[in-house]
Amino acid sequence: MIGRIRQKIWMTKPTRSVGGDLLVLLLIGAAAAYSALPLVYSISNAFKPPNELFLWPPQFFVRNPTLANFYDLLVLMSSSWIPFSRYLVNTLVITLGGTAGHVIIASLAAYALAKHDFPGSKFMFSLVVLSLMFAKQVTAIPKYLITSVLGLVDTHWAIILPAWCMSLGLFLMKQFIEAMIHDALLESARIEGASEWTIFWRIVMPNVRPGWLTLIILSFQALWGETGGQFIYSEQLKTLPNALSQIVSAGIARAGVAAAVGVITMILPITVFVINQSKVIDTMGASGIK
Amino acid sequence: MKRLSLSQQRSLTGYLFTLPFIIGFILFFLAPFIQSVIFSLNHLRIVAGGYELIYNHFENFKHALYVDTQFLPTFTQTVLNMITDVPAIIFFSFFAALLLNQKFRGRLLARSIFFLPVILSSGVIAGLEAADYMSNLMREQATNATSFLAGPTLTAFLLQMKIPRELLLYVISVVDRIPEIIRASGIQILIFLAGLQSISPSLYEAARVEGASPWQTMWMITIPVLSPTILANVVYSIIDSFLAPTNALVTYIRTTAFGGAGFGIGTAMGVMYFAAVSVVLAIVVGVLSRHVVYQD
Repeated sequence: MIGRIRQKIWMTKPTRSVGGDLLVLLLIGAAAAYSALPLVYSISNAFKPPNELFLWPPQFFVRNPTLANFYDLLVLMSSSWIPFSRYLVNTLVITLGGTAGHVIIASLAAYALAKHDFPGSKFMFSLVVLSLMFAKQVTAIPKYLITSVLGLVDTHWAIILPAWCMSLGLFLMKQFIEAMIHDALLESARIEGASEWTIFWRIVMPNVRPGWLTLIILSFQALWGETGGQFIYSEQLKTLPNALSQIVSAGIARAGVAAAVGVITMILPITVFVINQSKVIDTMGASGIK
Repeated sequence: MKRLSLSQQRSLTGYLFTLPFIIGFILFFLAPFIQSVIFSLNHLRIVAGGYELIYNHFENFKHALYVDTQFLPTFTQTVLNMITDVPAIIFFSFFAALLLNQKFRGRLLARSIFFLPVILSSGVIAGLEAADYMSNLMREQATNATSFLAGPTLTAFLLQMKIPRELLLYVISVVDRIPEIIRASGIQILIFLAGLQSISPSLYEAARVEGASPWQTMWMITIPVLSPTILANVVYSIIDSFLAPTNALVTYIRTTAFGGAGFGIGTAMGVMYFAAVSVVLAIVVGVLSRHVVYQD
């Protein structure tokens, strides 16, 4: 309790002059404004009627807000060949399945590589780092050939399985585990008779929580925008981004609908980000070591 | 069964834990990569029922280096852009993360705002922007405007001062690219935040009891404890800068491989690019990792 009060004093004690505070606020405010303005603009665009949408010079805020763009989008969705919810479910399956598998598999491997020195572990890790550097455009054709040999073409697995084994997650998790987990903590758990599996789930994962929460956002973000164009051909298996890009591919005639689509596709990633970040506990419990 | 020694047991655990990753990694990354290297050494011809490879003595590499007029200039430009951007991105995201990690009202909102560029510049939304008629008009207008902050007069004025010329030119080029730098910093800020949140408060408490000033605390605690995260972020930024789908060279390789001179030449370019990126990364990691402090 005393520790907490002391910590609170420490945290709120002013460490800068008022001028310094203002300067920092100004800098961060300017950067934040730059980041937020495109969002405000595209939301405002989604509510613009056509005559405002094509006004030159463009107006930042909408004057006569209308829901017509969203209504048009709904009409287009309901007239699509496949029920629209199907596309949403497909994308959710890919995003959630891919993210969950990626985080677990990458963390397992990262724990082994960070805290177990076994023959070949160094080599394995250098290989992973090297693979981070390869532009995926170049491996596109061989990757397709292998997916086809495995019989995964035109299934969601063609996207989910490679997502599980992306090296970025392993790399980040290894850095986090190395930075956050003391060997002494693992030793004491072993002395208490915990199995490696228990150590992983009960000690390593809770302690690197900020790490995997970050990885969830990264993975979600990447998979949410996945069109699956190379691998998925059946209409009933296609993803939401694919369907939405078909809707807006009509170009200028659907500019309003496109603005509405933009807002709708942004909602979920932003929500996930906000929920996820509010779950990060501010100060981790020092991993039990003093 | 013979009982395994302790170190054998530990190795076995290591292999078991990495196994799921390794299987997928070999299937979806290593095998395609090796196949790509083979493609880059051969002439690829589509025949009935598949393709055939004819070994052609590094012809693809020679073509990319000596015949293609755009490859090398784009290549050097990409490397130069990376060298200017990455330090700026690291500094910006580090300080942004330090500020966003402090306790203040609306912190979650502030964090979300800094992450917005990542959401806005990905997938469908980026495609929407590229296709939008009005955005294209605006982009056209914007290219006619002078650069972001440092216009030609200001640059000339600054160059007359007694400041090292190279340093000044670097600062000006960074100032010119501030929008790109903020746009590219979203994930780095997040990684730094995760690192900062894992620093034990008892370390700060101890430092405070010993009478350390906030400035000293920053250099003696925050930066050393955060050093593995800094390394991770530098690696991430370099890769992000080299492999972003918007990167000029990546776009060029893609058009070469799938539209222009053929897949063989495209993969040859890709392999050379990979080698160059690896060398850059190896140097950077080699220099930085000497200063990284791990907890063990």
